[in-house]
Amino acid sequence: MAASLISAHPFGEAYAAKAGTASGGRWAELQRAARAEIARGLPGPQHEEWRFTPLTALARVGFIPAAAADDVDVTTVPSDVPRIEGATRVVLVNGVYRADLSDTATDIEIASFAPNDATGQIALAELPLVALNTAYVTGGVTIAAKRPTTRTVHLISIGASGSQPLAFHPRIVVTAAAGASLTVVETHIGLPGQPFFANTVIEVDVAEDATVRRYVAVIEDGDAFHIATSGVAVAARGTYESFHLGLGGHRASGTVRQEIHARLNGEAARVQLGGVYALGGESHHDFTTVITHHAPGASSQQLFKGVLDGKSHGVYQGRVQVLQTAQKTDARQLHKALFLTAGPEVDVKPELEIAADDVQCAHGATTGSIDPDHLFFLAARGIDEPTARGLLVEGFVADALSQVSDETARDALQQQVTAWLRKRGGAL
Amino acid sequence: MAATTQTTATVKDVEQYKYGFVTDIETERAPKGLNEDIIRFISAKKDEPAWMLEWRLKAYRYWLTLADEEPTWAKLHYPRIDYQDSYYYAAPKQQAKYESLDQVDPKLLETYKKLGIPLLEQQMLAGVAVDAVFDSVSVATTYKKKLQELGVIFSPISEAVKTHPDLVKKYLGSVVPYSDNFFATLNSAVFTDGSFVYIPKGLRCPMELSTYFRINEKNTGQFERTLIIADEGSYVSYLEGCTAPQRDENQLHAAVVELIALDDAEIKYSTVQNWYPGDENGKGGIYNFVTKRAACRGRNSKVMWTQVETGSAITWKYPSCILQGDGSSGEFYSVAITNNHQQADTGTKMIHIGKNTKSRIISKGISAGKSSNTYRGLVRVQGKADRARNYTQCDSLLIGDKCSANTVPYIESRSPTATTEHEATTSKISEDQLFYCLQRGMTQEEAVSLIVNGFCKEVLQTLPMEFAVEAQKLVAISLEGSVG
Repeated sequence: MAASLISAHPFGEAYAAKAGTASGGRWAELQRAARAEIARGLPGPQHEEWRFTPLTALARVGFIPAAAADDVDVTTVPSDVPRIEGATRVVLVNGVYRADLSDTATDIEIASFAPNDATGQIALAELPLVALNTAYVTGGVTIAAKRPTTRTVHLISIGASGSQPLAFHPRIVVTAAAGASLTVVETHIGLPGQPFFANTVIEVDVAEDATVRRYVAVIEDGDAFHIATSGVAVAARGTYESFHLGLGGHRASGTVRQEIHARLNGEAARVQLGGVYALGGESHHDFTTVITHHAPGASSQQLFKGVLDGKSHGVYQGRVQVLQTAQKTDARQLHKALFLTAGPEVDVKPELEIAADDVQCAHGATTGSIDPDHLFFLAARGIDEPTARGLLVEGFVADALSQVSDETARDALQQQVTAWLRKRGGAL
Repeated sequence: MAATTQTTATVKDVEQYKYGFVTDIETERAPKGLNEDIIRFISAKKDEPAWMLEWRLKAYRYWLTLADEEPTWAKLHYPRIDYQDSYYYAAPKQQAKYESLDQVDPKLLETYKKLGIPLLEQQMLAGVAVDAVFDSVSVATTYKKKLQELGVIFSPISEAVKTHPDLVKKYLGSVVPYSDNFFATLNSAVFTDGSFVYIPKGLRCPMELSTYFRINEKNTGQFERTLIIADEGSYVSYLEGCTAPQRDENQLHAAVVELIALDDAEIKYSTVQNWYPGDENGKGGIYNFVTKRAACRGRNSKVMWTQVETGSAITWKYPSCILQGDGSSGEFYSVAITNNHQQADTGTKMIHIGKNTKSRIISKGISAGKSSNTYRGLVRVQGKADRARNYTQCDSLLIGDKCSANTVPYIESRSPTATTEHEATTSKISEDQLFYCLQRGMTQEEAVSLIVNGFCKEVLQTLPMEFAVEAQKLVAISLEGSVG
């Protein structure tokens, strides 16, 4: 497999020298191993999991560790990020937790990420980008609900480069103890400037009867790289719900990959993944999901929609594994892509691996463009074409959005989609 | 009632692998192993022209460079194959050509009888011309004269190399080049025989062409090569069926099938694959690595693949269509049944290049016992394939909790006006259906066979009649011992 690696990349010795090392203990050991792994190379275009999202462009940028940049100074949260009423604000700048910009809470614990013995139990160390994160982790945040409580956290992650392209590797750990309910609204934004690379690893531990909801929006007008790997473990009767919105501006050429690995470990656990990407310019968006059913009677639902414009590229790779122990599983998976013009590309690979017989599993995937009959229907009712197209695109993504159970979050996400459509203007 | 009685009879008849016998006919074979001399030997045996030998050697030399590139991406586990531990040529000793069946070795005829190819009766009843490949040399070709009158060329490919070198030269390797993949390259170097079909312009071939392949000689890899060309406006339906005797050692089969459909031509290619699957402990069985590909070169050309895969220990097979001509269409209908320790990784590729191209994929996978059954497919729509249309449906049925069913579809679309649809489901036989059948006096096995046949109906009904009947029986046979 050596031939399938990109051996020339910016995360070698020079990067390591600037990034510093973790102090002693298990984590330092993990870090050393991860650095050795990364030194061998990044996954190349021959690498099955990275075939559709090659890291060749990333490997060419001369990133330096964010911590080594002395010309970046972010003192406020950009004003266009709205405050969510009742939510606790948590701010990361270039992957570092900023207590000065964040709120405090009494019912949950919020702290800068510090590795301990439990770290890395959920995220899959063998994934190359998780290894890269482990090798150079720059901090992050731990959000823990240790007792039954209901809380919404607004996590704002700001990427900002100075005169040089920066890379940062934050780790976000979310734990919900038995009976707790945590909602994390994530806003990932980039400030104008040099490209940056956010290589985030999120570990989510959902205990019995607990619920974690994540509503993630990545809004990108530049050419940044956002690669986020979420490792999720759900115990009996626990629920993990996530929705990812990826918007690529019409002049953007950024790369976003949301990779989600969810394990349903306990009986009657539930995972619901949703997502919408709307891409313009040369932006690239990738949803990669691996859902593993270990326990019986659990259910997983996935619904992803993509809208493609310009010369953008959408990817969905979803794998559902049902182990022999997971009888009575109900697993569904659906991806639909809509082309707005000639030029974009969509690659889809929905996989099922089933080893239990008493299960209900289904997946579906479609690609297509706006149906002329639908346009005609609206035209016959006096609606001009751009408006009609806008309506149809909004309608297309609506059922994915409708699965977001938190109303406030849903409305906010909806508005962002509408804004994206409006920016595209009359050319729809 | 008739169907039920028949099923019961069949089930009794085949408590063991029905075709597990070895015909004792003297065979002539090349020494074990693979090198340039063996290839020269095969070529000389076939009395081939120099260009053919050159092509083989070119493929062989290329294959040597692929030593470490035997494909490993499929969900298949088998011990590394020692390619030097196999015979690459075996021919029944009796080489004479026959005018009538009376001259055929009676033992051979007996074999066919057990296999259920009634050569004698079929001439009368079925109107099927059979080019039977017994091990590697075609020994009996029927209806040849009648087809000749119509201008159809239906002959062993070894003969076509000599009689129609221009056609063979023009089309051989034009769909599956010798450098295509590890197994196709091996086949190009050592292929022993297979069928060659040419249907002239505007002719609708009046009968179904059929070849029965049969591995007979111990340790003989079978490397069949089939080439079918349907000229403008023609139509042909081709049947391929396989059975193999019971044996302990694994046998290698690496076939290549190339189909070429020109303007408005249509080819229907149906396969019932029933090679020996190994015993219930996973011992023995055929390794089947097949490259099948069709080029829909002409405008409005059409290719339809139907396969019923019940045999082989290992199946690695992806009959594909390259939809080059505007308005061309490709269809793939598949039933793959795995039981005991069988492993199947099969599916199709539909490559849409021309405008208004259509493809349809219906795949039914049934896994039982400790088997593994994978559908792997690719639908690719190139940027210029305006208004391309694809519909894919993959259903899997699991019988028992020791088996697995996997679905790995790739969908790559670059055309905004194209529409692709993919659906897949996995489930087990519903308790309600089973209860309903049992209540009406069926045994568990009959009920399962009936339900599974219903599950596969969409595919089975695309088979020509004679095959459909055989296939339905096979479905029942293949699931032997998987319930209860």
